[in-house]
Amino acid sequence: MNFTSFDFDQLFSMSDDSNPLMMLVWILPIILFVFYGQRIQLLVTSSEIKKAIKKLDSFRDTSRTELINYIKHTLKANDDPVKKIDRFLEYFTIMPVDMDPNGIVDKVHHIVRSREDFTRLQVKSLSPEMNDIELTKVQTLLEIASSLQMIYKIVNHMFLTAKKQNNYPLILPLQMMLPFIMEQAEAMKEAIPAFKTGQPIGDGIGPMVVGKMMLNNTKNSITFQTVSSEIDFEGRKLLLLKAEGPGSTVGRPADALEIIVSNDKPDAIIMIDAALKMEGESSASIAQGFGAAIGGIGTEKFQIEAIATNNAIPIFSIVIKQSVKEAITLMTKEIADTADDVCVQVYDMIRENTTQGQSVVIIGVGNTAGVPQ
Amino acid sequence: MFSKKKITVAYTIEQCTKCGMQVKRKFKEGDVLFVNMTKCVSCDGLTMIEKIFGESTDQ
Repeated sequence: MNFTSFDFDQLFSMSDDSNPLMMLVWILPIILFVFYGQRIQLLVTSSEIKKAIKKLDSFRDTSRTELINYIKHTLKANDDPVKKIDRFLEYFTIMPVDMDPNGIVDKVHHIVRSREDFTRLQVKSLSPEMNDIELTKVQTLLEIASSLQMIYKIVNHMFLTAKKQNNYPLILPLQMMLPFIMEQAEAMKEAIPAFKTGQPIGDGIGPMVVGKMMLNNTKNSITFQTVSSEIDFEGRKLLLLKAEGPGSTVGRPADALEIIVSNDKPDAIIMIDAALKMEGESSASIAQGFGAAIGGIGTEKFQIEAIATNNAIPIFSIVIKQSVKEAITLMTKEIADTADDVCVQVYDMIRENTTQGQSVVIIGVGNTAGVPQ
Repeated sequence: MFSKKKITVAYTIEQCTKCGMQVKRKFKEGDVLFVNMTKCVSCDGLTMIEKIFGESTDQ
């Protein structure tokens, strides 16, 4: 058979004697795509988003069930906690007005703290067997379940609105953001077993390094869920700070720093934290830099920066790069193995930037689940 | 479609505070870092939990 003798004109009906039926084959799709192109795209995209929403719904359901079972079976709840938990999951936080940004950080700080305090009291009332460590675990699990609930609700709302209005452009931002949203949601779902069993997570590398430095030294509770310790290192005074482990908490490092600075002005602040790696960067790589290495809503960072600026204290930071999933799930071997290297880098940083007789505050930032001191 | 599901197993590394010998075992509920555990198998020192981490394998 000769494959080289195709007559393309005939094949695609381009010659004058074209078949009217073949003409229709050309014209119909053009008309269809001109008038209904967006709707077809909406249908195709919808099926992808529907699958993602189904997944989000199952994540939300799993996190809720795991939380209820944990409270019911492990903590022996007073009475059926389902109603109370469902109410907690629906709690919302209204952020303050930012038309006049003056003083907004204090307002946000107040609202977030009030919410935390209220949730803590409510969670504590669920079971008489709830000690402080269990309380922090349940609070974190509740935080995960309510975040997954919120993600599901927002994605579903955006999808249904676009469908209702038959509006393809409305679904585009959702389609673009969905892979990132799913990555976060999957990470949160996979974080549940680690928090339930009290295992250290990737974000705990900062507290792990500082906790190791604190070993065999006297520890004091400096502020709520935060501990400090004082050690000597080559003629320098090191003031170590971390959240109080092994509960699942990040402590209050900014409040603790304020207390330290009011008593004894340090010459440098070193912060150790986990940081999100960029695509292409290797996981568990260590980097040094300047400025406050601390995540969260921003109020702690603001407070630390204000203290450092008012007292002219330089802030150095060491970060351990990791993905979103690694940061909130069980610590990987690669991240755990960096602890000794980070310790060495902290000591080098102290030698390079301070002289004998000076004092340095070292803050291990992050969730201290499974990491005592 | 053809990607294998990964399972993560948690491990605990115990290190002797005297001779430095390390023992890797599966994580048990209640394990937390820097806690003294058992007697070292090679000397009379005490072991301390040095690391807790997860290793992923294809199912």
